[in-house]
Amino acid sequence: MATTADAVAESTAPQAGPNRPLWRRRGARWFAAAVVVAQLALVANGYRDPHNYFAFQPFNESSTYAVELVRVLDDGQRVAVPNGRWEGYDWNELIDWGPLQSPWRQRHAFSGVDAVVDFLDHALDWMADNTPGDTETRYWEATVTYYRNARGPHVTVIRSHDRDLGGP
Amino acid sequence: MTDTLSSPSATANWRDRFHRWLGEVFDEPSSVRGAAVLRIVLGPCVIWHLRPFLADAVSGITYHDRFQQPWWAWYPNAPEGLYVALLWIGVAAAVLMTVGWRSRIATGTAFAVVAYNLFLSQTHFHHNRAFLVILLAGVALCDNGRALSLDALRRPPPDDRALVWPIWLLRFEAAAVYFASGFSKLIDPDWVGGRVLHDRSVRYQNEVRDAIGDTLADPVLEVVTARAFHWVLSPAAVATELFIAFGLWFRRTRLVAVWVAVAFHVGIEVTSHVQVFSVIAIGALALWAVPSTRDRTLVTPSRWVGWLDWMARFDITVVPGASWCMVDRDGTVLEGREARQFVRTRLPATFLFSQFWRYR
Repeated sequence: MATTADAVAESTAPQAGPNRPLWRRRGARWFAAAVVVAQLALVANGYRDPHNYFAFQPFNESSTYAVELVRVLDDGQRVAVPNGRWEGYDWNELIDWGPLQSPWRQRHAFSGVDAVVDFLDHALDWMADNTPGDTETRYWEATVTYYRNARGPHVTVIRSHDRDLGGP
Repeated sequence: MTDTLSSPSATANWRDRFHRWLGEVFDEPSSVRGAAVLRIVLGPCVIWHLRPFLADAVSGITYHDRFQQPWWAWYPNAPEGLYVALLWIGVAAAVLMTVGWRSRIATGTAFAVVAYNLFLSQTHFHHNRAFLVILLAGVALCDNGRALSLDALRRPPPDDRALVWPIWLLRFEAAAVYFASGFSKLIDPDWVGGRVLHDRSVRYQNEVRDAIGDTLADPVLEVVTARAFHWVLSPAAVATELFIAFGLWFRRTRLVAVWVAVAFHVGIEVTSHVQVFSVIAIGALALWAVPSTRDRTLVTPSRWVGWLDWMARFDITVVPGASWCMVDRDGTVLEGREARQFVRTRLPATFLFSQFWRYR
């Protein structure tokens, strides 16, 4: 005769072995295999991806970088952006993200130079899209001078997409 | 001839052992106490992790107000109010995880919030956050409320056993983290040759001076900014990570690997800012405990063993005035000082200072 304790034990006992439906047993195996394969793929992908997402390569470089920011106006004029301030905007306030703060100073390249340059590229586009009060800048240009693991300097130039200034 | 006969049987033997292992991992219930310990560690870490996002939200700033880089165009962007509410739900779930009330749902909720926040913008990504998401997912998959929880107090389960394949999956993930980190440095001549760490040491020496003052800093910096020091330190760091990655898998090296891992993470935490990584990585070491509980018997005059036996390694009988006596899983009997020393190697709070190498 089953007691209350038996009933409680049965209701809380883990559904294991033959008690579990076959699809759940097989599903767990396939799921685990998929996770293992996906993690190994992400680790391998880290050698290609500048950000090495989910590839777990912390402290991968000791690189530094500095950026010379320039606004290129509609007439081709190049205007420097001292301390990241222009037309009432402030780079640090807008970007507000540690690894790209005050990039005109020599900075540690968070997660490596390639990751920083990639983020900077996207940041220029984001800046171009999120400064509606700036009616002069056609596009942004950043000259990045970097030292990869203290070797350098190396220079690369990146720019934002063109902004629509709403001209004739 | 012997080879040709033995090879098929050896293969069959390996295949049998593999199938038996698969059965144990996926179908046999075992103790989930390791996942429960990790759940308790992860709860405060989730709050610690969400704290800067909440601090910004209190000041009226969310990810909408700063540079963000979406992972995928289709990923849903929560409106500001909902986003802030989600963060608070994450905090509440973290509290419930820690105390173990509706443990599995709470852990799943904390996972959902932390993962959602991570995948809102690539600027939210850090390795420690990725590891946190993975650990939360694995613990949520496990029936982790069967031990060390209010759930277990309210409705006591017959034992702390459940399916442990998520624990095995988390073991793989934890080992993968150490391996990926160690291997990537091993094949990087700048890293294994000491250039990366040396350059960092030189660049951040002012922070050392600020932290410990010039008097102490001078002799310390003389050593850590010397190029030769990093010819030794960097390969040692790489070897440490790779040793942990493999050492955790084998019974004879596991305790050493756990000890080395704790020392390694404490060292990283002292020298670098790695957010929640050190704590969650040390917490994840609980997953490597053999998933069986109270399978050693212990007679002791001391009550403190019961209080410190978080992993339930011993079936304890406290007898005032008795001498220590411990019967191991294999029937080995240890008495007196030997038993006491062995017990210390199996209690998380005393493990670091025990003679663990004698009792593997």
